[in-house]
Amino acid sequence: MEKNTTIKFLILICLLIVACFLSLFFGGSEHINFGELSSNNFIFWHIRFPKTITAIIAGCTLSVSGLILQIIFRNPLAGPFVLGISSGASLMVAISILAGSALHLFSVFFIGKAFIVLSAITGSLLITFLILGISKKVNSNVVLLLIGLMLSQICGAVQTALEYFSDANSLKSFVIWGMGSLANTTNFDLLIYLPIALISLLALLFFVKPLNALLLGENYAQNVGINFKSSRFYLILISSLLTGLTTAFCGPIAFIGTAVPILSRMVFKSSKQQLHVSSCLLIGSIILLLSDALANSAISNISLPINMITTFIGAPLVIYLMFKNKTW
Amino acid sequence: MDKKECIVLKDATLGYKKTNASISILKHLNLTFYCGDFVGVVGVNGVGKSTLLKSLCGLLPVLEGEIFIDQQHISKLLLNELAKKIAIVLTEKIGGFNLTAYDAVAAGQMPYTNSFNRLEKENQLIIDEAIKTCGITAHQYKLLNELSDGLFQKTIIAKALAQQTPIMLLDEPSAFLDYASKHDLFILLKKLADEENKCVLASSHDLDLLLKYCNKLLVISNTSIELIPVSEAKTNKVFLEIGGGFI
Repeated sequence: MEKNTTIKFLILICLLIVACFLSLFFGGSEHINFGELSSNNFIFWHIRFPKTITAIIAGCTLSVSGLILQIIFRNPLAGPFVLGISSGASLMVAISILAGSALHLFSVFFIGKAFIVLSAITGSLLITFLILGISKKVNSNVVLLLIGLMLSQICGAVQTALEYFSDANSLKSFVIWGMGSLANTTNFDLLIYLPIALISLLALLFFVKPLNALLLGENYAQNVGINFKSSRFYLILISSLLTGLTTAFCGPIAFIGTAVPILSRMVFKSSKQQLHVSSCLLIGSIILLLSDALANSAISNISLPINMITTFIGAPLVIYLMFKNKTW
Repeated sequence: MDKKECIVLKDATLGYKKTNASISILKHLNLTFYCGDFVGVVGVNGVGKSTLLKSLCGLLPVLEGEIFIDQQHISKLLLNELAKKIAIVLTEKIGGFNLTAYDAVAAGQMPYTNSFNRLEKENQLIIDEAIKTCGITAHQYKLLNELSDGLFQKTIIAKALAQQTPIMLLDEPSAFLDYASKHDLFILLKKLADEENKCVLASSHDLDLLLKYCNKLLVISNTSIELIPVSEAKTNKVFLEIGGGFI
């Protein structure tokens, strides 16, 4: 068992390196040759490099956020996208972009970014707590997913209404953001994105025991000495922070949060959540890096939306799981 | 053996707390359970057996009055300390997420592990022992949601054993077990009470089992709640009523 796990992790690390390479050198309309790489290659250092790092951070944050949500709701299909949390974050960003352009907040670059990040986190927190409230009233995992989809539709509708009444400039910036893209993050943005993501992920080190105990349900978790309500509160905070943060920088990215933890449980037949957190970090990065490389090189000179690729990976997995697991 | 007070209820009212009201199910209880007691909790469906067991281990609030566990006020005990004193077996199902029977039993050692939940050698020995005692060694690596109801029940009982607590609360532990396993379970519980001086409370509808193995009965009806020695059961009006004339 132990030896197998180590081998699987080594394979994942190798895959991550390959995926990084593919994304760095083939993740755009221009293929960069390794030999030609110089320290002042603008495309490489200012476009590819931040995009690859963004893909890694987004992959890590979304998959771990999804893992936390699946544990909290004890629902193997939960995730920030399917529960409408990403949409909540988007809606708040839409509101803040529109309000921001009206108030001329975005003339100061840093304040504008921080404003967007904060509103995305607020949006994801609001929806998560709403879903949590609803989850106490419904017993079925599938019904909860349907409610999440409805919430996401409602957020979408409000967003469309906002777009309809907005001026051309903010509409454009919002629509581009809303399609979900790894390419809008600059090296400067990474200085905000990376540290917050790292700190939120490291905070999970304090929650290894609760993450494992929450799977036993409220009563048994409490009976083995875990404060269920407070751990759940802090975990929701972390999960919303991770989703909101990535949504602020990359827009809503579909299905990574749901699919990666599912894949992780397929690869590692373990119930140790500390193991799944690490494997989600790896698998999430790999999948988003490969999706990025694929999006940019599947059809020459055309860059496909990243959401299209991630949906093609994620949605069939969810359907597969629904067929496989008749009882949850 | 000394008769140490394990659980003491002083004028305790138990029930649920809803957002705007509390619903009391069992009112003004004054009860004392001692170490070494094997108490069968009897009562018709919905009379409050589960409420009592859940309240005793802090899963439900004490609405009025006080509960003392091991001479300490229940609300003064930290969750982790309480977890080392009381283990509970409930009727609810858990599973999924690759959880195996072994994982569920290992959860019983969670109050004793470090913050990374690392199982040391001594933790593993205790887990293995609990698995062996409950007779699920051959099934320990099966997924929880693929176990039969009876095996699942044994797994959760093993979890409670692995928790190494002086008090064990079991909510209908015999519900899904086959005839022989029911007797095995009650023999085990009796042994735990007799030899390890544990205080065991088990609710059950298998009245003949309770009569055979318990030394006390907690007879709950809508109007009364009384703790009687098992020898007095056949003369107790409420108990006979619960038995519906078949005892």
